[in-house]
Amino acid sequence: MKQEISVLMDGEMFEDEAELFFDRLKRHPQASQDWAVYHLIGDALRQPDHVHRDISLAFRERLQAEPIILAPHTRSPQRVRHYALSAVASVMALALVAWLSMQVAGEPAPQLAAAQHNNAVRPAAFQANDYLMAHQEFSPSADVQGAASYIHTVSAK
Amino acid sequence: MRVVAQKIGAAFILFQLCASTAIADPFLEDAEWLRTMAFAAHQTNYSGVFVYQSGGRVEMSRITHIFDQNGEHERLEGLDGLRREVIRNNDKVWLYLGDKKVRIEKRRAQHAFPALLPEQIQTLKENYLIRQGEEDRVAEFHAHTVYFQPKDNLRYSRKMWAHSENGLLLKAVVLDERGRVIEQYAFSQLRIGGNIDQKWIVPDESEAAHSAQHEEMSPLPKASFESAPSGWQVDAIPPGFKKIIEMHRTITGKKLPVVHIVYSDGLAGISVFIEKVSEVTDIPGLSSQGAVHIYSRLVGDHLVTVVGEVPPRTVIQVADSVRFAGE
Repeated sequence: MKQEISVLMDGEMFEDEAELFFDRLKRHPQASQDWAVYHLIGDALRQPDHVHRDISLAFRERLQAEPIILAPHTRSPQRVRHYALSAVASVMALALVAWLSMQVAGEPAPQLAAAQHNNAVRPAAFQANDYLMAHQEFSPSADVQGAASYIHTVSAK
Repeated sequence: MRVVAQKIGAAFILFQLCASTAIADPFLEDAEWLRTMAFAAHQTNYSGVFVYQSGGRVEMSRITHIFDQNGEHERLEGLDGLRREVIRNNDKVWLYLGDKKVRIEKRRAQHAFPALLPEQIQTLKENYLIRQGEEDRVAEFHAHTVYFQPKDNLRYSRKMWAHSENGLLLKAVVLDERGRVIEQYAFSQLRIGGNIDQKWIVPDESEAAHSAQHEEMSPLPKASFESAPSGWQVDAIPPGFKKIIEMHRTITGKKLPVVHIVYSDGLAGISVFIEKVSEVTDIPGLSSQGAVHIYSRLVGDHLVTVVGEVPPRTVIQVADSVRFAGE
């Protein structure tokens, strides 16, 4: 669904597909929300000065509406913080990725859809981690990226 | 003695930066930015959250790096899903996946900064067109961009955003020859210096007690990173990649020592692993993790695995050219 929204926003969806998609969009409140968020991101990218304030307001509202706060006894305070953090994090991630995509030279903007690079290549299996880690120790990229280059080893499959 | 000299060299770079000449310093050569970034990556205390994107997947991770009188300590934690964490204390690296703890063997000691020696910068210039780009902002910091455009299609191009004052890498994008993004990461939030949480740092002395609690820990491999010819020959290593080391080493999870040969073109690394296999199990073929590609094939009763931050065609080409040339 999210990918379709992004395809539609990039103007890459055929008309008949789009009509069907709009029908589905009406029936799914979550998708409508995504639709709104994606447009908000687009607006933010075009007019950062005007929209920025509204985004943080909306984030704060959403954070306050987090269900965990209603049941604080079932989770430790740390847990709550973690959830809150990941909620903020995911929204930030979404916004940043949209922004990242626009930054890359030669890339059409904005590209929320998945990069189409996964053709025949499978994700690395767990045991490949040993080799990845061993390679990591000697790779020149680790020198510049520091611990960030371990992302290849710990990255979720 | 050499280390001291290197430190002085590094300090000199820092001095140049502190003098705030870095932003528009016409004398800071393009390739020198990479050295500055490497220096900053090792010497800066920072903590932040970065976003990693590859193949439609987006992940958030927290990264912390501390450089103190005891050396370097760094930590990478995944912020979503199961616990995924890497902690490095100087040359020792631990990997946590879920409730499992894996002690990864020592890193190469001489890997300490500054890793980019002048001859490596030279190698880099032979293989990439390097140019500085526009100035930008990343995670609220002013950034300087540097492009690395390879001279062939056997390696990826990169664009890097470095903190204008201290050179810390704030954002990096890896692109294929058609300009498609293979992977990218950027800090969304970053704090440089200041009071950074250090509770996660495991002091070396208590290491035995610390690790005794975890039965999952693999036995400490006795890795010796002495260069030694293995008798194996790699015929089709792409031009510009130079052999860094060739050795027999242990690897976590492998019973027998493995031959490990490392090549570098200054920016990307290619590792060739060769291990004896008694029975032919699943040969993985080609797999990937972001910009890192892994390709395995059998050569007689040996499994050859090539790992590198290079396109699939490069790891395949390298793996296909591995042969045993005799002791």
